[in-house]
Parts: sequence; C-alpha cells; structure tokens
Amino acid sequence: MAALLARWRSSPWAGSLRTAALSCALLAILVVLPPFLSLYWLRLLTSVLMLAVIAQGMNAMAGFVGYPAFGNVVFFGMGAYGAALAMTAGFGVAPALLIGAVPAAVLALAVGPLLLRLRGHYFAIATLGLNEVVSALAANLSGFTGGAAGLSLPLGAGTASDAAYRAYSGFVALFAASLALGIFLRDSRFGYGCRAIRANEEAAEATGVATLRVKSIAWMLSALLTAAAGGLYARWVGFIEPSQVFDMSISVKAFVMFLLGGAGTVFGPLIGSLLIESATTLAWSHLLKFHLLILGVTIMLVVLMLPDGAQGFVARHWPAVRAWLRHRS
Amino acid sequence: MQLVAQIVLNGVLLGGFYACMALGFSIVWGVMNVVNLAYGSMIMIGAYVTQMAVLQLGLPFAAALPLAALATFTMGYVLQRALLNRLAERSVFMTLIFTFGLNMALINLNLILFSADVRSLPDVFGRASFTIAGLSVPYGRATIFAVAMAMTLGLHALLNWTPLGNAIKATSFDPDAARLSGIDVPHVYALTFAIGGAIAGVTGALVATSYSFSPVAGESYTMKAFVVVVLGGLGSIPGAIIGGMLLGIVENLASLFLDSGYRDAVGFTLLLLVLVLRPRGLMGRRFFAEVKG
Repeated sequence: MAALLARWRSSPWAGSLRTAALSCALLAILVVLPPFLSLYWLRLLTSVLMLAVIAQGMNAMAGFVGYPAFGNVVFFGMGAYGAALAMTAGFGVAPALLIGAVPAAVLALAVGPLLLRLRGHYFAIATLGLNEVVSALAANLSGFTGGAAGLSLPLGAGTASDAAYRAYSGFVALFAASLALGIFLRDSRFGYGCRAIRANEEAAEATGVATLRVKSIAWMLSALLTAAAGGLYARWVGFIEPSQVFDMSISVKAFVMFLLGGAGTVFGPLIGSLLIESATTLAWSHLLKFHLLILGVTIMLVVLMLPDGAQGFVARHWPAVRAWLRHRS
Repeated sequence: MQLVAQIVLNGVLLGGFYACMALGFSIVWGVMNVVNLAYGSMIMIGAYVTQMAVLQLGLPFAAALPLAALATFTMGYVLQRALLNRLAERSVFMTLIFTFGLNMALINLNLILFSADVRSLPDVFGRASFTIAGLSVPYGRATIFAVAMAMTLGLHALLNWTPLGNAIKATSFDPDAARLSGIDVPHVYALTFAIGGAIAGVTGALVATSYSFSPVAGESYTMKAFVVVVLGGLGSIPGAIIGGMLLGIVENLASLFLDSGYRDAVGFTLLLLVLVLRPRGLMGRRFFAEVKG
C-alpha cells in the first residue's frame, strides 16, 4: 500500500491532479466573488484575467518552447476583428468567437513552418512583421473592417452592469482553458517535446521529437487562446480599431507578465498579470501623465532584478530571510 | 518612363538616408546582439535637440547637428555602461523587452518635456531644387543624402582603419578573446552603443529639417531600421546601403500603385520574404549575423 502510494506520488499525474485541484479552487473563488465587488473592481479583475490569458498564450510559445513570439498580438487583433464582424452579421457569441479564433489558428499553422525555422531575434522580428502586415490590412480594407475609423459592435441586452458580469464570466471561462493549456504543456508528452526544444533543439530533433510540428502546434494553441481573448475583448468594449487591438504593447505586457510570474509555469501568467495590472492601474488613476514612464521603468526593473520571476526571486532569497528571522528570535 | 525614373531617384535619395539611419541600429545589434527598440526615440531626441539649438539658441544648423550627435552619444554611452552591460549574458528577449520598456519611458519623458505637438524645423535648406537629366532634385533631399553618405563612409573608415574599430570588431567576434588580449570590453560595448547613438542623433537632426516629428513618431524609424538591417544583412555597411535603397525605391513605387496606408506594410512584407528565403540578408556576413540564442 505504502509502495503504491509512493509510486503514485512520484508519477506525473499526481502533479497534474494537484495543480488541477488548485485551479478548481481558484476558479471557484472567481465564480463566487462578483457579488462582493463593485463595478470598478470587477472591471479591474476582468482585465487581470484577460491579460493572464494573453500572457499564457505568450508563455506557451516563449516560456515552454523558448520561441519569443513577440508579435502574438496579431492573433488578439484577428480574434477581435473576426468576432466583431461575425457579431455584426448577427452571429451569437460562441460561434463568433470561433469565427475569430479559427483564422488565427490557421494563420499560425500556415506561417509557423516557415517562420519557426528562424531563431532568437529573427523569429521575434518576423512575428512583429506579421503583426504589422495584418494590422495594415485591417486598417486599409475599410469596406470590410471599417478601416482605421474602427468598428462598433451591436449592443447586448441589459444594463451596463449586466454587460460587465457577462464579460467577467466569459474571461473566467477562458482563464480556465488557459490553466488547462498550462497543465497540458507542463505534464503531457507533447509538453515534454516542447521543453526538449527549449533546452536544446538539435538534441530534441536527434532523439525523435518532430520539432517543426511540435513548434507549429504549440503556436497554433497559443493563437487559439489569444484570439479567443481578442473576441471576448471586442464584445466587452463594444468598439475596436486597428491601432488598439494590434498594439504591440499588449504583447510586451504579456511577455513581462509571464517573465515576472515565472516562465514555463502554470500560474506564472496570473501572478504576473495581478502584479503588473494593479501597479499600472494605480499609475493610471493617480499619475496619468507618467503612466508610460512608470510602466516602462517597471519593465526595465523586472528585467534587471527579477530575470527568473517573482517565484524565483523568493526562492533565491528565502534561505537568507529565514536565517535572518531565526537569528532575530 | 520619366515618372518611373523620378520615383527611382527619389527612392535612392531616401534610401541613402535610410542606410545611414539603419547603421546606428545595425552596429549595436551586430556587436552586442542587442536589438534596440528605443532607437527611434533616440532619433526623436536628436530632432528635439536640433530644433531647440536652432530656434532657441539661434545656432546655425551646421552647429546644431554635432550638438544633437553629442547628446545622443553621451546618452548611449551611459545607457550601455550603466544598464545594458548587466544584461550581456542574458537571453536575447530579455534585452528586447528591456529596450521596449526604455522606449516607453523615453516617449513619456519626451511627451512631458516637449508635449505631444507635431513639430518641424522648416526652411533649413530652402525649397528650391535643381534638375539633372530632366529629373528634379530638391536641395534639401540632396543635402540629407550627402550627409548620410558622409556618415556612412565615416563609420566605414572608423571600423576599418582605426584601433577603436579593430577593438570593436574583435569584441564582436569573441568577447572573451578580446578581454584576454587587453581590451576593456564594457568600455568598448559602451562606445559602440554611443556611436550608434551618435548616428541616431545625426539622423534626428536630418529628420528635423524635412519631416515633421513628435514623441511617438520614433517607432516608425525603429521599424524601418529593422527592415533595412534584415534586408541588407546584419553588420554589413554595403548591405545597409543596398537595403536602404531597396526599401526607399520599393516604398516610393508602392505609393504609385497602393494606398499610402500600406507604405509600412510593404516594407514588412519585403522583410518577411527575405527572412523566409534568405535569413542572413542580401549581404550579411556569417560571423556578424550568427544568432546567439
């Protein structure tokens, strides 16, 4: 019996189940929380969840596979436009999200095999170029997308607070999916393939990982998640324009968030987005003029001081803190 | 035919300017493997320094240009020495994110110092033009082209015929071997970033004479520098000239057939094509362009 228990503990399933249980507890809290929150805090929490989802999409590529998909915001924009156009045409929310997400996933699968041969800066720049091209198309095909002037969505039924609750519950559902993706990438056979690529791509190839296929599929999953977030965002704000949904700083924020929370972890994106989003919201409300400056300096400090994320920082300094505490008592 | 020739000529003149601008970006990337996303903001700082020197101090443009270069040279040295050298051993996307944050901070500082107004410095070179073989060349564009080409040749001379140039090249090939042979690597890194900064300052001074600028206008210059460097190949001066002229000509030709909103997208389409078909660029040399992570 004891031997069986020990074997169970050391199997990867035990880790997955523990993380899944933690995720369910977290989601349960998120589900019961809204009645206790004012609309302001609900909106803040919604944007924290949205950025956690986008950061998980970035984490899937940059954290787990080691490819800095800097221009991932292209999928956010495509998802937002696809869903917005579908909703304007009278589709319901779920089919509209699908209509937004599928082209994004197809794009990732189509250009993945070409761009994922590049590494480092070159891959990062290629994704950036992709975003510029798609966003220029969105801005100039004005007959189709409304052009640079933007696109208004039909209003949903109910009051403003109904809309806020709807947006919140949509993002809670998507956040659940993002945690599932994180667990999948951490514990599955496919995820081991991803991490092998991150550690040493040539060695992974030599041991039989179909690297190009694994990278392309990982990018497609990242695109699906990011595009779904874009679709929900379009519905939430009711008006989108190219400069806003294809904004590179969304990608960069997502990047900094998962770095801060811990690259290649399941909950890292949420931790990072909680920290950064509350910091920037404080900056917005009190120091509007210095908002970009504060965000920029925060990013620089995170990179300089916390390269292994907040979790890594705590792990590094915890022994010293504990020794100091013991010394005091 | 006359129209196409005029467009190609305009493209070449613009391309000379692009080539010079991209070199400041290229040298930093090639030597330190740092993609400086704040490059455009440094160009804008050069433009603001030039404008203030001309309008408020009453200096002639010829004196304002070195002043702008000096300002961004100093800024580049301090940035690399104090901050970026600490990131030298980290992975490439750490520096990418870092310079993005720096760019945000610089844009915000420029907004506070100079407001969001779009500015320009009109009539430095007048509006007249001369004609060659039936094609018109504005004096302003010709002067920008000449200054840009002089900078490019100057950089070529610096890198190939001076001890500092040798130190920079040695460091970019192998920092450890350079350290062992007595080169002060952090200092050389800082000087390289400073030279890149000085080129940004000169580019900014040139921008101020014939284009309008604002704190957020820098990003489009960073993007163009990207495109030129990838087109021509990292660390190659002839490559930057070819890449710059190619971009200049293609942009001008595209404005004939496409809506002006596609101007930047055309450059990026070219960039994606080159990355997929010939990732080392048209003229890139292997050792400079080696991808380190």
